Amino acid sequence: MDFYYGMAQLIGVHTLLGLSAYVVLLTGQVSMAQAGFFAIGAYLAGMLTVLAGWHIVPAMLLAAVASAFVATVVGFPALRVKGLMLVVATLAFGEAVRIFWFNFDYQIAKGNIQVGPLGGEGFKQIRYFPENGWSTADVALFIWAWVIAAMVALWWLDRSRVGSVLRAVGEDELAAQSVGINLTAVKVSAMTIGGFIAGLGGAIYAHYTTHIEHLNFGVILATFAIAYPILGGLSSVIGVLIAVIFIQGFLVEVLRFMGDWRNLLFGALIVLAMNVRPDGLFDARAMRTLRRLFGARDA
Amino acid sequence: MKRLLTIAAALGVAMSVGTAADAADRTVKIAGFGAMSGVVRSFGINTQAVMQAAAKAINEAGGVKLADGSMAPMEVTFDDDRCNAEEGISVVRRLASGDAVVGVGPTCSNVAEPLFGILQAKAGDEGDSGLQFPIFTDTAIKGGLAKISEWAFRNVPNESQMYKSLFEWLASQHPDAKSVYGGVEEDFAHSRFTWYKVMKTRSADVGYEVKGESKWLLNDTNFTTQVREMKRAGADIIAISAHPFTTCGVLKEMARQRVKYKVLVGLTSSSSLETLNGCAKQAEGIIIPTSFAPVNPEAVAAADAAAALGGSADLHSAAAWEIMMILKDVIEAAGIQATADSVQADRMAIRDGLANLKTTKGLLGEIQRTDEGEAVKPYVYVHADDGSWAVLHDPNA
Amino acid sequence: MSDFWWDVIDPIQSVLDGVMFGSIYALIGIGFTLIFGVMHKINLAYAAASIGGAYASLAAFQLLSAPALVVFLCAAVASGVIGYAVYICCFRFIPEHLPLATLMASVGMLILIDEVVVHATAGMPEPYPAMFDDVMIDLEPFWVRGDLLMIFVLSVIAMMILLYILYRTRLGIATRAVAQQPAAAQLCGIGQQNTNAVTFIITGALGGLAGAMVGASVGILSPLLALPLTVKGLIVTVIGGLGSIPGAIVAGLLVGGFENVFQYFRGVTERDIYVMLLLFVFLTFRPQGLFGRMSTRD
Repeated sequence: MDFYYGMAQLIGVHTLLGLSAYVVLLTGQVSMAQAGFFAIGAYLAGMLTVLAGWHIVPAMLLAAVASAFVATVVGFPALRVKGLMLVVATLAFGEAVRIFWFNFDYQIAKGNIQVGPLGGEGFKQIRYFPENGWSTADVALFIWAWVIAAMVALWWLDRSRVGSVLRAVGEDELAAQSVGINLTAVKVSAMTIGGFIAGLGGAIYAHYTTHIEHLNFGVILATFAIAYPILGGLSSVIGVLIAVIFIQGFLVEVLRFMGDWRNLLFGALIVLAMNVRPDGLFDARAMRTLRRLFGARDA
Repeated sequence: MKRLLTIAAALGVAMSVGTAADAADRTVKIAGFGAMSGVVRSFGINTQAVMQAAAKAINEAGGVKLADGSMAPMEVTFDDDRCNAEEGISVVRRLASGDAVVGVGPTCSNVAEPLFGILQAKAGDEGDSGLQFPIFTDTAIKGGLAKISEWAFRNVPNESQMYKSLFEWLASQHPDAKSVYGGVEEDFAHSRFTWYKVMKTRSADVGYEVKGESKWLLNDTNFTTQVREMKRAGADIIAISAHPFTTCGVLKEMARQRVKYKVLVGLTSSSSLETLNGCAKQAEGIIIPTSFAPVNPEAVAAADAAAALGGSADLHSAAAWEIMMILKDVIEAAGIQATADSVQADRMAIRDGLANLKTTKGLLGEIQRTDEGEAVKPYVYVHADDGSWAVLHDPNA
Repeated sequence: MSDFWWDVIDPIQSVLDGVMFGSIYALIGIGFTLIFGVMHKINLAYAAASIGGAYASLAAFQLLSAPALVVFLCAAVASGVIGYAVYICCFRFIPEHLPLATLMASVGMLILIDEVVVHATAGMPEPYPAMFDDVMIDLEPFWVRGDLLMIFVLSVIAMMILLYILYRTRLGIATRAVAQQPAAAQLCGIGQQNTNAVTFIITGALGGLAGAMVGASVGILSPLLALPLTVKGLIVTVIGGLGSIPGAIVAGLLVGGFENVFQYFRGVTERDIYVMLLLFVFLTFRPQGLFGRMSTRD
């Protein structure tokens, strides 16, 4: 069972990462900066529990607020550009954050060992969960409480006026502007929410892997962050979850029995999925079908 | 909805962990894992081949003796962790949920470090909910990792001691060489650790003047500036702490800029086929301490057995051969049941057995074991000689 | 010479080396910019395809030996073929109004190409032939690497050929027509799909040459190369101005020189932070890039 709880942890954390990119994508912005926010959350939360001895929940919240703050600050200049320029600008920001942690040393003595981030050698022994006797199932439940909270919040947001505003900006900026929507405010808000969720995800990531280093937060992670909502489809938060299960559950774990072929299939199946379902695995039609199954009337 | 349920059920079946084998055909399951993809793929291929070759040799000699005196064969599986921390954790959780009694791996230090972190720190500590699964590492070499958990053991060379004695030997062989200059792959944890905490401090201990270091990143391609710094320093000994790809890039640039030196020293991990494949000509003469070389009949036999299964025995994978032999002895001494119900007890017995070892056999001679679960292995100095690795000096001889 | 002189000479030499190496960034940047110019889409598999082409040329000459120049040309051809495959797999059948789907498909392709290379070589670094790699042109107190000079010259020739094709041939006219007014081009009888496919083949060939040049300058190929080249190539594209070929060339050389200067003064660990800062400066003060037109579409 432990293995399934472990998988649930991993899927939960990646869902948070995907959700953070999802909010930003709703406004039509492809942000490659999510890995950077994720890294900020991971390092800060780790430092708070390991160095300052905080409880995990306040540590996570403070780390997430800090990432959200950075996201807001970055949002203003970065969102002046769009399309490919934004992709590259956010990618550059994410890389800059990674290099920052690569150059960051802050260690204190704890018992007879030095703890804390140590530049290129990483930040080890973030053992809040095992040290406090949390079982794998406890951790999985804890993570999923956050994931469900984030999903419900975004689901509600999506169905409220805010969601319509976000999507209006994503569909056609000019039209949105002409009905009086403040583009900058909307985009920066989406970026802030995304930064907050990515910070939460990163905070958990640091604790369930117990060791983080700058190479974990590179371009590949940033690419996965946007891959989840794109692959899953932007019609609802469910898409993100389905894409995470597709990538982390199916492509990585289920295909493990295929040995060497698994790695080749990984890229090939992503290409195939995008050709067959360019709107995402869980597109608007799938959403309607699902609603009908649960007896809801079509909107 | 039906379709969704079918898919969910199919996922569940495919992800399910293999059930324990029938009691009648008891086998000792050893689970190897490491990188089979990306730039470190060759490491995984070698370890897998060596483990299978060792299991074959053990099984042909009758297998492993269990607690009740019966003989059981060893069975080796191998999983790919892609050199990724999260995937390594998943693999080990899956193994721990199955019936493997011990894990052998991983390849990468950046997987080993988080992996050891999720294990129980002190064996038998009720307050620590970490995983209770013994792991015996063959490749991940970054210094001081096994002390993270009492369930973690390593059979990797002790670089600190190897480089100390290498520099001492160099001092006796090249009395005219007075200074050392380093080259370090700054963003790779192992290379970085080995330069700053091992090569740099050890050479200073021996009395060399350390003139500084040039730094580059692990996927850099342009080394002109760094090599110019190196040339300007004009040290007698140049020590490069980097993996084969950048080691070769730097060596080629050094040849272009005609950097003069008396001795060239390399990183343990570069004493593999990769370096010779990439730049045999420029690497000529580079001296590297290593814990494996086919210098005696036993080592030659191990290397041949691995080659027959498509792998090469080098300082990393040969450790896996030793691990298999050590595990056989530990399992026989501990007397495990190898039944479906005894898995956790067997793991505990193996852990205790490994923790109590003071010395083990190795391919190059006796291996000392430390209280922290690390090994102190015999070693030789090899150098690149005419396109292949040749033993330059054997400090034990 | 005194230390003082070395302190003056070394940074200049660093810039020189960087600028020469920058010609490789320029080649990759041109590829991104050309595809963006024609299709308004990003092909993230581009640098991976370039390295893949270089590997393919190595495989072709595994048994028989050939002059380095022939290997380079073979890399260009192989990469052109991979470019076409990328077009078919990631762009041809995905509806045009879904740029995110093509973006993601090209990421999948990047992963696939990298993994094929890893499987073929077990991830080991492979030696790559070079021309004039033991020639050092000594211009006391400076010196110029013979192979980098050769790479620089070859890159310039390749860019000239490309500009010739774009501005002096029917094919080029068609390409530019599709880039500027797809609908109008179609009305004039220019097949959009064909033009797009040809663009991918041409840029692929250019990328293959870039891949070969990277291999030649480092002396070895590794799958490690694809990702950093993708990132640097994208930065060059943006700094140069989207869709601008001269922009990509100048930006490539600029980034190459710039990164070596900061490597010299601030060390390798901070080097890339300054490259990112350079990009931010451009995005803030000159979002259209060096030579780009201020465009409203994205």
